[in-house]
Amino acid sequence: MPVFVEDPAQFSKPRLKSELIAHNVTLPAVESKKQVYVELYLKHIVQKSAADFSSDEEDDDVVEVQDSQDFEEEKDPEMLDPSVLTDEELKTTLLKYGVEAGPIVATTRSIYERKLQRLLKPAQPRQNGGTGDADQYSDSEGDEESVSQQGSPETVSLMEENLHVDIRFESRIPLSSSGPEIKRGNNRSNNQGPRPRPYWQEVATVDKYTMTNRSLFVTPKTSLFKRQIKEPVTDVLMEMFPETEPTPTGIAATRRRPIKGAAGRPVQFKYPDLPASPMTLQRWAVEHRLVPLWVQILVFFIVACLLYLIYAAMEDSLANPFVTLLDNLSMETETEGLSLQAEP
Amino acid sequence: MSSTSQKHKEFVAEPMGEKLVNALAGIGEVLGKRLEEKGFDKAYVVLGQFLVLKKDEELFRDWLKDTCGANVKQQGDCYGCLREWCDSFL
Repeated sequence: MPVFVEDPAQFSKPRLKSELIAHNVTLPAVESKKQVYVELYLKHIVQKSAADFSSDEEDDDVVEVQDSQDFEEEKDPEMLDPSVLTDEELKTTLLKYGVEAGPIVATTRSIYERKLQRLLKPAQPRQNGGTGDADQYSDSEGDEESVSQQGSPETVSLMEENLHVDIRFESRIPLSSSGPEIKRGNNRSNNQGPRPRPYWQEVATVDKYTMTNRSLFVTPKTSLFKRQIKEPVTDVLMEMFPETEPTPTGIAATRRRPIKGAAGRPVQFKYPDLPASPMTLQRWAVEHRLVPLWVQILVFFIVACLLYLIYAAMEDSLANPFVTLLDNLSMETETEGLSLQAEP
Repeated sequence: MSSTSQKHKEFVAEPMGEKLVNALAGIGEVLGKRLEEKGFDKAYVVLGQFLVLKKDEELFRDWLKDTCGANVKQQGDCYGCLREWCDSFL
């Protein structure tokens, strides 16, 4: 089984960074390669921890070594440098933070050390709290600066034990506002619904030097983000239709201006003198009668005129034409009758 | 939410026996090789690590990332696979 602790080249870059920070070593430029970190790590840390690590069997020795060697560099000896802790100490320290650690063996030690470092990290204010979920799902290992600072929240947020840290933290570190309010049961569900944020992300929102015990409501950044996205949309709608009342469903139908004369609507207000298209004429025609009134009247008048003209064309006088007609008719029948009688 | 892969189903269907690490869901060729280099040549060794970490998701994910450089999805797949296997057979 390989031993993880002694090989800094095996460490990931954020691990190296955190180690350097823990030992108060100035970090190189952000974009520098891992090798730079490894070199710095080797330079500053290995010399210190080598002596300590060799004597991790007994607590007393470690304490002595700590006092002699680490006195200058560390203000709180056990808090900042998990790698000088023995297995037992590491376990108890983790327990102080509410982390139920399993056996600390060679393979697990580095993991628990890193976890402890993450727990110690909130001393640094979070600068990029706005990166939110974007970093969580990035596959790249090297580009994990913000993730490491957020403590790889995709894993941490699923761990409810981190939130227990707050309970123990009150006495040690000024950040305590997110304390006992965020208690969760030990259900290990992968439910990411309310997405508990790591507590150290809340530092950005809370003054770290205030020892307030007020409860800090954990508003997941995802919902904030989504809310911001949604807000402009509704504003636009409200701008467009300011007089619409907000409906429960958010849907408001806008009334269309009715077309006059269409679909049975009475034409109360005549349109101004627009040139009536044939379509409108036809529509009007359909709407009223099969044959429009004025057409009927026009035809009537035309026929009347024709008849009058025909009558006028006749040379007979206007006086009582019917009497003359009847006389003519009676005379004709008489002549016919006489002619019929005469023949046989 | 996410459906399990074929590899996952195959792994959790039976005791792992002497299966290689490649048989774990989320662990492909590259990651399998890295794990083997570190000494985790069989799936049960990774299981051992999983159990030593007390089946804790975050710790296991961290360990996996540290050991073989698995990304988030791979970590999740492997963790889910092992956990389900433990639920059935442990």
